[in-house]
Amino acid sequence: MGEGATEGTGEAGRAPGQRRVAQWVRDYSRLPGIPDEFLGPDGTPRAVWSSFFDAFGALAPDEIERRFAMADRHLREAGVTYRAPGDSADRPWSLSHLPLLIDEADWQQLSAGIKQRAELLELVLRDVYGGGRLVAEGALPAAAIAGSPEYLRPVCGVPPPGGRYLSIYAADVGRGPDGRWWVLGDRTQAPSGAGYALENRLVLSRAFSDLYKSMNVPRVAPFFEAFRDSLRASADRDEPRIGVLTPGSFSETYFEHATLARYLGFLLVEGDDLAVSDNRVHIRTVAGLKRLDVLLRRVDSNSLDPLELDASSHLGVPGLIDVLRKDGVVVANMPGSGVLEARALLGFLPALSRRLLGEELNMPHIATWWCGQRAARDEVLSRLDEVAIEGAYRRGVPGFDSTGPVLASALDATGRRRLVDAITARGMDYVGQEVVRLSTMPVWEHGQITPRPFVLRVFAAATADGWTIMPGGFCRIAEQADARAVSMGDGARAADVWVVSDKQVSTATLLPATDKVRIRRIAGVLPSRAADNLFWLGRYLERAEATLRLVRALGSPMRGPDKGGAPASIQSTERIQRLLVAWGAISQSSRAAPARIAAEALQSADRFGSALSLVRAAQRTATSLRERLSPDAWQVIIEMAERLAYEVEDDDSVISAAELTLQELASFAGLAQENMNRAAGWRFLDMGRRAERAINTTRFARQFAYDEAGDEELDVLLTLIDCQITYRSRYLLAPLLAPVRDLAVLDSYNPRSVAFQVTALNEHIAALPSLKEYGLIERPQRLAVAVQAMLATAEAEKLEVKTLFSLEQDLLKLAEAIGLHYFPHGPNASRPEKLTGLA
Amino acid sequence: MIYDVRHVTTYEYESSVSFARCTLRLEPKSGNGQELISHSVEIRPRPAERNARRDFFGTLTESVVIEAAHRNLRIDSRSRVSVSRQSPARDAQSPSWENIRDIAFEATSLGPSSPVGYVFASPLVPVLRPVSAYAAESFAPDTGILAGAVDLMHRIRSEFRYDPKATVISTPLNEVFDKRHGVCQDFAHVMIAGLRGLGLPAAYVSGYLRTIPPPGQPRLQGADATHAWVSLWCGAELGWVDFDPTNDLLVANDHIVLAVGRDFSDVSPVDGIIVGSPKQKLGVAVDVLLVG
Repeated sequence: MGEGATEGTGEAGRAPGQRRVAQWVRDYSRLPGIPDEFLGPDGTPRAVWSSFFDAFGALAPDEIERRFAMADRHLREAGVTYRAPGDSADRPWSLSHLPLLIDEADWQQLSAGIKQRAELLELVLRDVYGGGRLVAEGALPAAAIAGSPEYLRPVCGVPPPGGRYLSIYAADVGRGPDGRWWVLGDRTQAPSGAGYALENRLVLSRAFSDLYKSMNVPRVAPFFEAFRDSLRASADRDEPRIGVLTPGSFSETYFEHATLARYLGFLLVEGDDLAVSDNRVHIRTVAGLKRLDVLLRRVDSNSLDPLELDASSHLGVPGLIDVLRKDGVVVANMPGSGVLEARALLGFLPALSRRLLGEELNMPHIATWWCGQRAARDEVLSRLDEVAIEGAYRRGVPGFDSTGPVLASALDATGRRRLVDAITARGMDYVGQEVVRLSTMPVWEHGQITPRPFVLRVFAAATADGWTIMPGGFCRIAEQADARAVSMGDGARAADVWVVSDKQVSTATLLPATDKVRIRRIAGVLPSRAADNLFWLGRYLERAEATLRLVRALGSPMRGPDKGGAPASIQSTERIQRLLVAWGAISQSSRAAPARIAAEALQSADRFGSALSLVRAAQRTATSLRERLSPDAWQVIIEMAERLAYEVEDDDSVISAAELTLQELASFAGLAQENMNRAAGWRFLDMGRRAERAINTTRFARQFAYDEAGDEELDVLLTLIDCQITYRSRYLLAPLLAPVRDLAVLDSYNPRSVAFQVTALNEHIAALPSLKEYGLIERPQRLAVAVQAMLATAEAEKLEVKTLFSLEQDLLKLAEAIGLHYFPHGPNASRPEKLTGLA
Repeated sequence: MIYDVRHVTTYEYESSVSFARCTLRLEPKSGNGQELISHSVEIRPRPAERNARRDFFGTLTESVVIEAAHRNLRIDSRSRVSVSRQSPARDAQSPSWENIRDIAFEATSLGPSSPVGYVFASPLVPVLRPVSAYAAESFAPDTGILAGAVDLMHRIRSEFRYDPKATVISTPLNEVFDKRHGVCQDFAHVMIAGLRGLGLPAAYVSGYLRTIPPPGQPRLQGADATHAWVSLWCGAELGWVDFDPTNDLLVANDHIVLAVGRDFSDVSPVDGIIVGSPKQKLGVAVDVLLVG
């Protein structure tokens, strides 16, 4: 064993490990009449599981718990989440600690079945959107296609750019009572789960690295590599730009979109990031429009183009379908591919396989009766209590609210009548499906193992050499004994899937061989929206820092003189409060004790300017930047949000919470400074921070270094801008107006001064690409240069508070100008509006 | 009969629009007793790109890109059309509706005129149980398809109130049905939903009505704007028969067909997106003159 404690073999009897395994087997109560993955029909463990449990059982119980805890920690730290429909926040990912094991021979059969099915579906799509011979010759009822909302008329007769309809295909499979793998459903639109499978693998293979190695589990990396290469090859130029099209951060699987983009090296884009011109799709970037060659879409077909498809959708790109017609972009999978997810089709596939492939289908599918056909409808109506009723074309049963199947046996008399009437009137909208009890696999619960049904999603990618299968997959475990209701929304757990081989496996990773790589120093392009989010992330965090400093200044007198901090007078306390009111951190009417006000500014969820609200705003912004932030940076933001949301108990802990959060902000800044590439992305994050700090420092200086300010107010200012030590090392005096103003505003050597921020802003702006061709100076630069010149030539002795006021206005204008210039999606920018339709 | 049609669409924007991408379906159809003689569309400001193609339903669809900044968009469409149609009598004999339903479903084509494409819910026309039940009252077992559809059309005309202010394009069908009011588009959608609820193939037709009625007849509802009605497949012999539920009549020579689709979303005459002004004012003027 590579790591962790293994207990020695007892002299007299069996090893404790073997005893434990034997105990687990005894306590494992299989469900009657249902096959199990772990135990064979005779009650003894199958070979692959037995070698797994031998090694697993050899781990001491506390070692097992330690490994499980480690897996959970990895998941938390990687921030793996999903959303169920209707959720307003992300849910943490729930991963079963035991993988599903499949032995290689079994897997080969399963893979062959999936490959054959993928090939068949590709051929059916070509026919349906191409010539329509299958329908014309009666091999496929027209209604089985025409009834699907995914039958996209605008792409009929449009050959798929790149040459294929399906680039990625997935099938949900389960093991039926006969011991064979059965197909439960096809995913041809935009199959989800591959990215989660990847995360599951990373986590579990780390937590059980020794076991993982010893069982010769093939890696999933080569699958993703093949998929990526195949998408690249589908483009019509050598170094294609590829985007993952996501509906956005409210999407239930947004985390996965970000994971895939990062892992495959694609850009994560939303519809608003893209624009059509010259029969091509382009990305809006901070350097203007850049051509995009391939879109891996996670947006459903009907939402892809408001001009030709669902007009109310904001998720797509106006004109995209027309670009497909002009062969200007590859979209994977081709819009319209989802038509084959219709359950109405299932029953026709065996005959289509014989016709199109000249072969029998290798894998059976779940028995399905499409009620569009009289015989099948009569069959379903006569066996209504034995079958599950599903929609023929999409999720959900027409006329019934449920998103899953309807079971007649669960309906009252009225509901049953309604179901029968609906099937009789419009049978074509319904199918009946056999209620299959799927096989179970072991999950870990309270120190022992227990059987649970599961559904396995297997992925296939199209390559130049045919279909390739991900060795493993996305396994979802049901919490109840009926596995038909499996959906992540129902709170089910996921599991990693290990194909267990006798042979050594190769250790391919996504890192390409060195001779194939062109050396690059700056990564890709920066979409304007990502730049906008980075800019605002910087601003929110900096604003949070300023608020925390105010909170600390407000609260510190309560800690006594020995604990540091400026003893604030009533007057400066009032000024601090005024600032907090102006920022929306506390309510206008607050006449409470300073400590209460500090607590409100720190963690009131109702105040948009409280430190908690600002950190949450930063977190929301960062959510859309997941593929660009390191897990460490993300983790820091999560921790801050958690700390601030935790109700403080006494006045003292208000200050410690503020201080700890300030430390975390510093560590985020450090991570950005030390770990981010000095590409455009870093510049926008830093510009947000600099712009906000310049504005805040000017405002502090105006409030506490006004023309008649006393040394007590000046002292508060030095604390707020963290310059106590610098000042004292220079002047050895009580704070005086001119030197304090110089330090806070004009001194370009002081990293906290306004001048320092403005110098940095100027450097960033100069380094960013110019968008205009005329050689004229652009507005952000014009403003920044002017402010810098003003600061460089001003004299502290002659500075007046009204100059500070106009400086603050200029800085606000500068920040706004940056937004307008680089981000077409900023608050004041235009987004496409629908033309009003005609009555 | 020969008609001159002038269809002018104007958009006024509150602030300048920097970019527009529009889809136009303004060319009247040829076929089924209608011939297009001439057609032209003038667009101001002048577009940077104009591309025409036939869409799935055979409608001439023009994609237009405007890159010049503008505050007004004007689309002026002129067509000359000759119409010579025979409509069946309201009480003509026809096959039973169940028969039509079963034959339509067995169609072996996915093409635009195949009835099977029109028996399912479409983007703006869901199949709703109350609407299906409403339609079923006109279709007792063995009722002829024409008789049933004429009765349904008549009931809609008498039980729904024509009210141009009551609905907008986005008003959902169930609301139109519950409140029993709307415009031609709503009446057409309700009738289509009812027919499809019974498994019958019903299409949506956009077009025009002659502005000045024949002497001695009342001016028809919807004559000063684009109009909409229903086309129902009535079997191989009768083919597609057009019903105008807004005026309770079988379509003959007073109607000019612009486009046919599953519902309004397939045939919308002017559609598009603009970048710029969120506020817009739409104007539509239609003139249909009998010239010969």
